[in-house]
Amino acid sequence: MSPITRRAAVLGCVAVTVALSGCAAVTPSKSGANGDVVLRVQGMPPATDKPGLALFKKQVSDFEKANPGIKVQGSTTVFDPLTFSAKLAGGSVEDVIKVPLTEPQRLIQQKQVQPITGQLKAWDHFKEFNPQVLKPLSDSAGDVYGVPQNPYAQGLVYNRELFEKAGLDPDKPPTTWDEVRAAAKAISEKTGKAGFVQESKENQGGWQLTMLSYAFGGDLQTQQGGKYTATFTGEATQKALGLLKDMRWKDDSLGKNLLNNQNDVIKNFAAGQVGMFMGSPGTYRLAKMQFSMENTDAFGVAPLPQAGGNATLTGGDIYMVPKSADTQRAAAAVKWLTFAYAQPQYSTDAAAQQAKALSADPKSAVGVPTLPVFDAARQAQINAAIKPYVNVKLDHFKPYIDGLSKLDLKPEPPYQAQQLYTALDTVVQAVLTKRDADIPSLLAAAEKDVNAKLAAAQK
Amino acid sequence: MTLLTHPRRTAAVSKEPAKRAVDRRRGGALRKQLTAWLFLVPTLIVFGLFAWWPIVRSLLMSFQKTNLVEPATWVGLDNFRALFDDPLLSTAVGNTLFFVGLGLLIGFPAPLILAAVMSTVRRGAGVYRFLVYLPVVIPPVVAILLWKWFYDPGSGLFNSALGTIGLGPYTWLESSDSAMLSLVLEATWAGMGGAVLIYLAAMVGIPGELYEAAEVDGAGIWRRIWHIMLPQLRSVIGLLLLVQLISTVQVFTEPYVFTGGGPENSTLTVLLLIFRYAFQDGQYGEAAALSFLMVLALALLSAVYLRATRSWSKT
Repeated sequence: MSPITRRAAVLGCVAVTVALSGCAAVTPSKSGANGDVVLRVQGMPPATDKPGLALFKKQVSDFEKANPGIKVQGSTTVFDPLTFSAKLAGGSVEDVIKVPLTEPQRLIQQKQVQPITGQLKAWDHFKEFNPQVLKPLSDSAGDVYGVPQNPYAQGLVYNRELFEKAGLDPDKPPTTWDEVRAAAKAISEKTGKAGFVQESKENQGGWQLTMLSYAFGGDLQTQQGGKYTATFTGEATQKALGLLKDMRWKDDSLGKNLLNNQNDVIKNFAAGQVGMFMGSPGTYRLAKMQFSMENTDAFGVAPLPQAGGNATLTGGDIYMVPKSADTQRAAAAVKWLTFAYAQPQYSTDAAAQQAKALSADPKSAVGVPTLPVFDAARQAQINAAIKPYVNVKLDHFKPYIDGLSKLDLKPEPPYQAQQLYTALDTVVQAVLTKRDADIPSLLAAAEKDVNAKLAAAQK
Repeated sequence: MTLLTHPRRTAAVSKEPAKRAVDRRRGGALRKQLTAWLFLVPTLIVFGLFAWWPIVRSLLMSFQKTNLVEPATWVGLDNFRALFDDPLLSTAVGNTLFFVGLGLLIGFPAPLILAAVMSTVRRGAGVYRFLVYLPVVIPPVVAILLWKWFYDPGSGLFNSALGTIGLGPYTWLESSDSAMLSLVLEATWAGMGGAVLIYLAAMVGIPGELYEAAEVDGAGIWRRIWHIMLPQLRSVIGLLLLVQLISTVQVFTEPYVFTGGGPENSTLTVLLLIFRYAFQDGQYGEAAALSFLMVLALALLSAVYLRATRSWSKT
């Protein structure tokens, strides 16, 4: 072999080795050095959240002591629907994923996550779970696919300062949509800020129209003979859109920016530019921690105002086990879910410890109200246990807490909700950007398109 | 005898070194080939793994139904049928063609005009070149977010500036009539720098005598541009036209970041629709099928274009 050939051969070998080692690097290890099961879990707080991270590390160390043979590797990766499927196919997705409540039904229907009912039932308090909270994480056969954390119901988030400037009483937020309309008009006229903002893109327009329809007494999907169909043309949805149309074109109280996603809205709210929007108490965390809201005392939240529906939409974070986890790791994953999420939400001691650790950071938000994961009595005990560490103004969440029990909590449309939202986004955008938008025909066209897709998918 | 046998013997004797020479040559060629192949190995692996294999996989996927976890099932042409049943396909194709058309109308002549003007500048040419090229070095998403603020209907730069002369306010991105035009304006601004530099470089290559001769013959500025500059730049113009066509057909970042395809799907492009199929709806088969159709359309477009301009570029 000539020197050049030899060099080329070496170069080729190096390239192949590098390429293959690169491939190996992205494939996660499945067992530790001592034959331990290595469990990779999402939900580890980032390094900037020092108290959260310290708490997480302590949980890991306690869990590993209690479960010899399992090593937990935390990951700060957050669930991203854009890369999830590719990572799942490549086997590089974690064994526990943390997803928002908008995702479980899609993941269940696409068979990308696995049921954990059998093992979860072994936990002493399984039967005490709030059935309303478990419903959106279950399939039609009743199998459960995840453990919820901080579940909530959508409400009306409002800026107390803008309310005062507009001559409204911040302790008496609107309870009906007529009152919302009047308040929005007052805010936009007297302060020049957007009175109320409706999300309208990236499927969030459809998502918010769904909760608005619930408040008006509507439903966007029905099931007949085992098949799901979209029902957009109901009176409730038409009235809901009619309200938005009036607020946009008669009152001009929806602000100038009409194409918004949730982050746009919360960012503008944190900057004091938005009077009201449909959101959960949890948006307090985003406004404070992600968008640096300075005047957090201006944050107020009320139950979702109503117009005959007496209902609202639920949300929250869910921990699930993807299909890629083998039996051994799936079993370890459920043990972790029970230890790290179910038990601390049940045990008053664990909840108090967590709250104490988190409250060490002034940037944290401890005490933001959630829906009871278990029954109301248990939630009351938990609230009492964490009371010394609460660092949010609970008074400003009081209207929400007081009014929530009167509302029916409804999950998202059960079958391919994202398809529904895509179609409804277009309708919401038309109503917000076209003065002469014909609501009945827009809804009828969207319903027809979606039902064609749903029918094809259910063949 | 001697005479007879000698040459034979000579031949027999001389055959050995000749054979060895041929072998050596063959061996040398083989070695050279081996060397070449070994040098190619890294590229082949990288291309194979990250370009060719995904292309083959996506072609296969366009005939399958899959969730990327369980084994895929073959569904024949079902994905293509579902595509053609989707009313959004014609919307997306129409919007993409509209973007391409607006791009040709606004984005294509703009750098040529700017380069023609800049080529006449004698002092400070470097500064102008730097300024024109600057947007190219800004990351696309950053540029789009900046323009999003320019377009803000309330406090944006454009409405504020136009307001001072009594115009507007305009809705820019918030209206289905003007959203696509707003996207094209930003894309033109962001992508113009490269084309201007290429045109400027090509203009330097046009012999000065041609202009001087035309001037002597009494040709004005327009005739000099029409009869000298444009014909001389023909091949560069042709190339940039093809590049622009292919890149504008694949427009994605602008509608995705600016408008998410709205309002009312007025900026939903084919690539954004592919993205929605795959990552929003989890319909990977349909996404692959539409990608496949798009590749076919682009290949066809390039072939037609090259055929149409072959004679043009020869002359």
